[in-house]
Amino acid sequence: MKLLITGASGFLGQYVVVEALRRGHQVRAVVRPASDVTRFTWHDHASVEFARVDLRQKSGLVDALQGVDAVLHLAAAKSGDFYTQFAGTVIATENLLEAMQTSNVLRLVAISTFSVFDYWNTPIGSLIDESSAIEKNPLERDEYAQTKLIQEALVRDFEAKNNAPVTILRPGMVYGRDNLMNACLGAELTDTIWLRIGARAQMPLTYVENCAEAIVLAAEQEAAIGQTINIVDDDLPTQRVFAKKLFARMDQLPRMVPLNWTLIRFLTWVLWVYNQKVLKGQAKYPGIFVPAKLHARFKPLVYTNARAKQILKWTPKYSLDQAFDRSYSDQNLLTISAPSPALSST
Amino acid sequence: MTALKAAVIGTGLISKEHLSFLDQSKQAQLVGVCDLSSASAQYAAQRYHAEATYADYRQMLSEAKPDVVHILTPPHTHKWIAKDCLEAGAHVICEKPLTSTYEEFKELWAIAQACDRYLIEDHNYRFNSAILAIEQMIADGTLGEVQEVEVRMALAIRKGGAFADENLPNPIHKMPAGVIHDVLTHLVYLVLKFLPTEFDRIRAAWSNHGGGSTFKYDDLDAILVGGSAHARLRFSAHTLPECFDVIVRGSKGYVQTDLFQPYLRTVVRRKAGEKLSPIVNHFINGTDLMRSSVRNFSNKIMQRTPYEGLHRLLDETYTALLNGNPPPISFEDMERTSRLIDALLAEENRV
Repeated sequence: MKLLITGASGFLGQYVVVEALRRGHQVRAVVRPASDVTRFTWHDHASVEFARVDLRQKSGLVDALQGVDAVLHLAAAKSGDFYTQFAGTVIATENLLEAMQTSNVLRLVAISTFSVFDYWNTPIGSLIDESSAIEKNPLERDEYAQTKLIQEALVRDFEAKNNAPVTILRPGMVYGRDNLMNACLGAELTDTIWLRIGARAQMPLTYVENCAEAIVLAAEQEAAIGQTINIVDDDLPTQRVFAKKLFARMDQLPRMVPLNWTLIRFLTWVLWVYNQKVLKGQAKYPGIFVPAKLHARFKPLVYTNARAKQILKWTPKYSLDQAFDRSYSDQNLLTISAPSPALSST
Repeated sequence: MTALKAAVIGTGLISKEHLSFLDQSKQAQLVGVCDLSSASAQYAAQRYHAEATYADYRQMLSEAKPDVVHILTPPHTHKWIAKDCLEAGAHVICEKPLTSTYEEFKELWAIAQACDRYLIEDHNYRFNSAILAIEQMIADGTLGEVQEVEVRMALAIRKGGAFADENLPNPIHKMPAGVIHDVLTHLVYLVLKFLPTEFDRIRAAWSNHGGGSTFKYDDLDAILVGGSAHARLRFSAHTLPECFDVIVRGSKGYVQTDLFQPYLRTVVRRKAGEKLSPIVNHFINGTDLMRSSVRNFSNKIMQRTPYEGLHRLLDETYTALLNGNPPPISFEDMERTSRLIDALLAEENRV
């Protein structure tokens, strides 16, 4: 297949490009105009070409879609104020979908996120799966969740209006080399001090190489069309287990100030009630003091990847320990050996 | 009271401030929002309760028939959008800079006059509490006759954000003063607010200390002299932290503030007499600074931003328009601001 991959220079995007190449696909990697592509080990691979476009504007997008069989849309803004993230996530998606409609390239694998779920109103210990409720009060959540919710709505609208073959994947927290510190562990108070909130909650993790494989499989599998699929690994660790493995390998540790989940939950609820009743909802507290944001990161819940396994025929290749070993090894994880003949005919 | 029908063109970052005012004001009825991005327009409409969304502002003008249009698009588009709005019979409130040049300002003003509509450039910081307090101190004679004004803004625009983005260069870079054009209007109208004089000697050094081709300039150092009155205008992208300092010196004392972290430090002769005034000033200013720290912390939690003056400006503008009075930003305010910006640009690269 010829795949257009947006966000190809991002953390997950690079692994998706490599996985697609390993599986014998042709890749057109969308990178921003000022990107230095020579830093990618795969930049001169025979099956890679680059589309230098900025998705925040329309120009060049229709050309970039010429001859493409499917689009893997990973591009999104993860930082910045609301309007920065709106441009990088929502307007980028709007422009891409418009160009796809114009080009009649309708097969889309859209990468959403676990952030779209309604965590506050979900009871502790509940199972989060594809049928779990979506956030109904986006303004209570951070900019990332707000913009990803709008993005997912745009994709569903595109699917409905064009009868388009769309798959929405919702990866959990993607981790891997250089991205091991995780927002579900705690909150950064200063450069050297972290508040560690809770210890026993399961973390909805997916190792970047596992997740990349699931994304490419979604493009390959007919059964994935019309599906929304959560992506998390097997045997998910608790915060305590993950932190122990991580800290054992880190040279310099931030100072951790432990906070009990029940206590911080109560404190946050009190602040929220005070804001609603006394301050008329005008106050904007730091993230962990907002219940919807706190619950989204630290609430003890359980997760499943049953649907991903069933529809994508996916089994997460690397366990947590293997993922840590690979992340801390000297091995180049982004090299491509010759694709399997069986896969190259896909 | 009948509300004025308001519409907004451009739903980017600054639109949040305009739309939040229009959403809560009883003097305005938000009949439409317009943006080339339909997703952006729809978000704005949903968030701030607009009656309709448009991708074409001309269609919005003809269908929604707004009394007032807020133009919040990139500066190089202001002139022709404003012209169309005025000719459609709407008053125009436009983000700064209203036009790229003084010539364009005069052309647009002539159109507004011909259409019998008001044209209002956003001079929001003039309506911030700290600036109003300084204005009051001048009015009641606390500072005496104003002799010097310094306005200094430092922004970390080289360290990231929309202006430093090389992938999608911001249109502001194509303005005559480059990225400094985005803030120069603020610096100039604040100087003119406190020193409404004709400056006969103007010197300005425009620099690009950070180099590269994205930024035309990232630094401005200007001295203005009119008679015995002096003003200094300063913009830096390098000497951080970020600030927006205003110092007004009069014949009886001086006052300073930072509009990003507001406080007032007033050094004047106190009732205790000349000898004790320095120590009294220290104690009073120390106390005020502590109060300001608490107030600024509270403001941050309560989402009161340095844009507080914009709501006040819009409120006064809508009140004036509803009552048939001239708006608080006058032709003279805008004309002199635009003319002084041209004069500063005429000093390009001259030290």
